[in-house]
Amino acid sequence: MEGQVLEGSQPVDISKHPSGIVPTLQNIVSTVNLDCKLDLKAIALQARNAEYNPKRFAAVIMRIRDPKTTALIFASGKMVCTGAKSEQQSKLAARKYARIIQKLGFPAKFKDFKIQNIVGSCDVKFPIRLEGLAYSHGAFSSYEPELFPGLIYRMKQPKIVLLIFVSGKIVLTGAKVRDETYAAFENIYPVLLSSGKAIMRDSSHNMNINDNNRWGKPEYCNKL
Amino acid sequence: MATFELYRRSTIGMCLTETLDEMVSNGTLSPELAIQVLVQFDKSMTEALENQVKSKVSVKGHLHTYRFCDNVWTFILQDAIFKNEECQETVGMVKIVACDSKLLTQ
Repeated sequence: MEGQVLEGSQPVDISKHPSGIVPTLQNIVSTVNLDCKLDLKAIALQARNAEYNPKRFAAVIMRIRDPKTTALIFASGKMVCTGAKSEQQSKLAARKYARIIQKLGFPAKFKDFKIQNIVGSCDVKFPIRLEGLAYSHGAFSSYEPELFPGLIYRMKQPKIVLLIFVSGKIVLTGAKVRDETYAAFENIYPVLLSSGKAIMRDSSHNMNINDNNRWGKPEYCNKL
Repeated sequence: MATFELYRRSTIGMCLTETLDEMVSNGTLSPELAIQVLVQFDKSMTEALENQVKSKVSVKGHLHTYRFCDNVWTFILQDAIFKNEECQETVGMVKIVACDSKLLTQ
């Protein structure tokens, strides 16, 4: 177990995740072309768990329970699958929807499956001074607390958007492959450490606020 | 005024339809009149449920299947508990068909 720390019960590969934190994937959006014209009304009438209200939205909205996902199915044969927690689950779900369409009598294929977006999140477990971060990384940051309580950080390499909250909770979006999410988090983590509030969340007696104060860093950083 | 025909499948609606069928087949009623009666039944049911029924029932169960098409919601519930002020009853499988009454007045 050398070079690894335990995050929950899963061992973490420190070479890939030097921070010791692995962002959790929360949502995968994928698209696929079924490559045949679809009669949406026929689909809505025959399939289970389908909604079709053409006045509002020109697609059938269908859900399955496993993997728990939602699909938007368009008359052109294009389909969007959302809600899966991993790339494999997203693909499996998309296949299941394609199979449902096939069973209704359409010659559905499974062309050009592509992961379009991956959303991940994690918690660095220390508070972050967003004003300071917005100032020191002005070129990438947009922080308008009157509009949205989080700081929007548009990373250039990898091209990922991060929502950073005072609480230390982070949302990473815009990735096409999960490694971009991981890389973006590893890039931002040292920045967050230096913008971390001087106090750890659970050492509230210490009110000393200084940049790079050792209290601003999580305990395990001293061990690295 | 447009009407919903969904109450025709209720026990009372089925009985009315059967009676009308019988009367039409033995010649005591013209088919046109029978249809007029059914349309009046649709209107009367809607009106009666809107104005004369005060009781409320809550339904809670596992949503097995849902559908929304042509402005009609269809729900199939498993182990549904029907509750009103006086009693409660569990039903293994129940299908709910619901229309938007606002569509009638448009």
